[in-house]
Amino acid sequence: MIDQTMIPDIDPIALPAPIWLLKFLLLLTFTLHILAMNVAVGGGFVAAFTEYFGRKKKSQNHFELSRGIAKMLPPFTAFTITLGVAPLLFLQVLYGQFFYTSTILMAWPWLSVIVIFILAYYGYYIFSFRWEKLNGKRFWAVLISATMLATIGLIYVNNIVLMLTPDKWKAMYFANPHGTHMNFDDATLIPRYLHYIISALAVAGVVVIMWGMRKLKSDEQLGKWAIRYGAWWFLIPTFINIGVGVWWLIALPREFMLMFMGGNQLATGYFLVGLASIFVCIMLMFVGMNASKPIGKIMAAKLFFLITIVTMILMRHELREAYLKPYINWDAVQTEPQWGVIIIFALLLVGGLITVIWMLKKSFGKPAIN
Amino acid sequence: MNYPIWEVPIIGGGWLIGIVAVIHVFVSHFAVGGGLFLVLTERKAYRTNDINILNYVKKHTKFFLLLTIVFGALTGVAIWFTIGLVNPQATSALIHIFLWGWAIEWVFFFIEIAAVMIYFYTWDKIDRKTHLIVGWIYFISAWMSMVVINGILSFMLTPGAWTQTRDFLDGLINPTYFSSLAFRTLTAIVLAGIYALFTASLLKDKKVKQTIVKYSSKWVLPFMLLLPLAGLWYYLTLPEIPREIILGGITFVSNTAIVGLIAGALIFFTVLIMGFLKPNLYNTPVAVFVLLLGLASMFAGERVRESVRKPFVLVDYMYSNGLLLSEFDKIKEDGIIKNSKWSSIKEVNEQNQSEAGKEAFKLYCSSCHIINGYNDVKPLITEYDEEMLTAIINELENYQGYMPKFAGTEAEAAAIAKWLVKFNKENMKGEIK
Ligand code: HEM
Repeated sequence: MIDQTMIPDIDPIALPAPIWLLKFLLLLTFTLHILAMNVAVGGGFVAAFTEYFGRKKKSQNHFELSRGIAKMLPPFTAFTITLGVAPLLFLQVLYGQFFYTSTILMAWPWLSVIVIFILAYYGYYIFSFRWEKLNGKRFWAVLISATMLATIGLIYVNNIVLMLTPDKWKAMYFANPHGTHMNFDDATLIPRYLHYIISALAVAGVVVIMWGMRKLKSDEQLGKWAIRYGAWWFLIPTFINIGVGVWWLIALPREFMLMFMGGNQLATGYFLVGLASIFVCIMLMFVGMNASKPIGKIMAAKLFFLITIVTMILMRHELREAYLKPYINWDAVQTEPQWGVIIIFALLLVGGLITVIWMLKKSFGKPAIN
Repeated sequence: MNYPIWEVPIIGGGWLIGIVAVIHVFVSHFAVGGGLFLVLTERKAYRTNDINILNYVKKHTKFFLLLTIVFGALTGVAIWFTIGLVNPQATSALIHIFLWGWAIEWVFFFIEIAAVMIYFYTWDKIDRKTHLIVGWIYFISAWMSMVVINGILSFMLTPGAWTQTRDFLDGLINPTYFSSLAFRTLTAIVLAGIYALFTASLLKDKKVKQTIVKYSSKWVLPFMLLLPLAGLWYYLTLPEIPREIILGGITFVSNTAIVGLIAGALIFFTVLIMGFLKPNLYNTPVAVFVLLLGLASMFAGERVRESVRKPFVLVDYMYSNGLLLSEFDKIKEDGIIKNSKWSSIKEVNEQNQSEAGKEAFKLYCSSCHIINGYNDVKPLITEYDEEMLTAIINELENYQGYMPKFAGTEAEAAAIAKWLVKFNKENMKGEIK
């Protein structure tokens, strides 16, 4: 029997929007968060290894790329936070009774995220602003920062999984109410985490490819090299990640695993689309990296990669809903949409995007990253 | 009554929030006012064609960027984290009431971050006019995020008509909204000057340094003269009880307010004498001293505001311990322990009285009283015996005026008293030894 008595009551104030809208905004902003995080974290690791290879091979290409990534890391780290705040808001309003409780159980590790983040972020700035001066120490500066950021991801995964398993909370809290728990005994934790981090490397690989495509005009040799180099950073992690994904799937409680294998049409549908599109993406990438005119094929590969990422995020969402099904009845959750303010929000969001795009256009001729 | 209580030794959760909040406020107000400082100073440099000022603004931008978007942004996230941990019930309530306020604030935050990075990275790369526009976009969006968040923060103390109407705008534009917005805006501008004085004090060239110090002092002094007026306005918009508390109703609160005023006055005179009149005296230690004074007065202000809100976390809606006023009667019927999802004990009886008392204390009182830590009850009760303690607990709201009504049963009051009185006995033993 599941002990439901420990789960906090739902907040007595009605949700100020329809549930679908809140879930949509959660997933949308979370997708953007994950993409920015992938560049910030994956990019850091790629930069570190690129430094390492560059030094070993005395290769100017590697250093050029390292310098290029160094410029990207601070902005993408900034957007990892900015785009992380929004899903944090929607997560709390939708799943507060689960999220706050699991957070309390792991309060100190959770708070440590802030300190680790500040240190790692300054580390990235040092890597970026003092790239020349650091010279031999560059490898360490960026590796340590990236590892710290990756640790934050691990703490997040601990909490986001712990919030799904309320039956564990009671024993944890009464064993120790000081908020020092972690959730490592969950079998899905490690594969889940690895799946995210490895895909961060693949996304960073794609960013390297894009960097290479932009270089083609000014320095064809460097551009071509970067496209091939980035493609390998995409391909190898992606192959590994197929294995890790399977590991995660088998580690799931059986009923949830079966959900993706026909048990639930929607979940299975997402899974199939995701698999198909990553397969197409890999093919296009193989062709594109060796092509004399790579741009079209690579752009198409990028599109399919994005489709895969979105389907993975939708699967993740279905998984959460399945975990929480015994504990929450969405039909009984009250909503009183505040349409007036929602419309103001929507207008401001559009206005804000236009403003940001205008600034980017004015400043860099075209958006910095396409 | 709903969530497990995270036990934070010694300082307690309240202070943890306080520390994080003061640090954040000290940087985030700079993030607003400093934006105005950057664009206006940049404009001045262009107009007077002064390369020294221009070089200074560029340097200051880097300092500004590194401080605000790293430290400022993350301490902001840290507030979210800590309030969710320490008072999940209140955090959840605020998020339900003001979800779209926060969503709107987030839009401005997003523009703000994009703008400040572009502003920093495009110095000398784009034409001057566009660069200034980007600076203005930064300042306006930073200020707009304050415009929104100020409504949510002032709501906590003065919910105004919201209590009846439950209307988003009634809550946001509440009785202290405009006065506190004025106060915050002035604070932001003053802080911009104080931080600028700091970076100016690091300049090597003596003449340039003096120019910038004098210029930055002009950012501080006039606006600092306006601050007391805004403070007075804010005071006048407060309800009666907080006003009485500040004017001496509770000694430590009025003392804290006085400390804040003294720190403010010290800033004013230091900047007046060593910044404006004799700018060559303004060196880095002085600059750091003034920054620390700024932090101290910020701290005092926040502390007073938090204190006058007691016993509520959200006035007229929720007590500091997370209890909803609307649920009071229901809970009074069969007690705190029974109604708390996370109590280890489910009822008070003859055998478990002291244990149950400890548990009820944890659930109902520990948001403000940390045993062996902040606001410890032990030294406060040495004069009382068990019977008197029971009586006090049963009429908690009458005891000092800033504690909530007691939602527990009489048996629970007796249990808490029984547990508390043990500390007195221990004390006495200690003294005899
Ligand atoms: C570089 C540092 C960060 C990394 C590596 C990171 C990584 C991750 C990962 C891997 C997840 C998925 C967790 C899971 O599904 O088990 C996640 C979720 C999340 N992250 Fe981040 N994150 C970082 C920083 C942040 C920051 C600073 C914030 C907030 C300001 C944030 C907000 C969120 C939120 C709200 C979720 C949960 C979304 C949901 O479950 O729907 N993250 N993050």
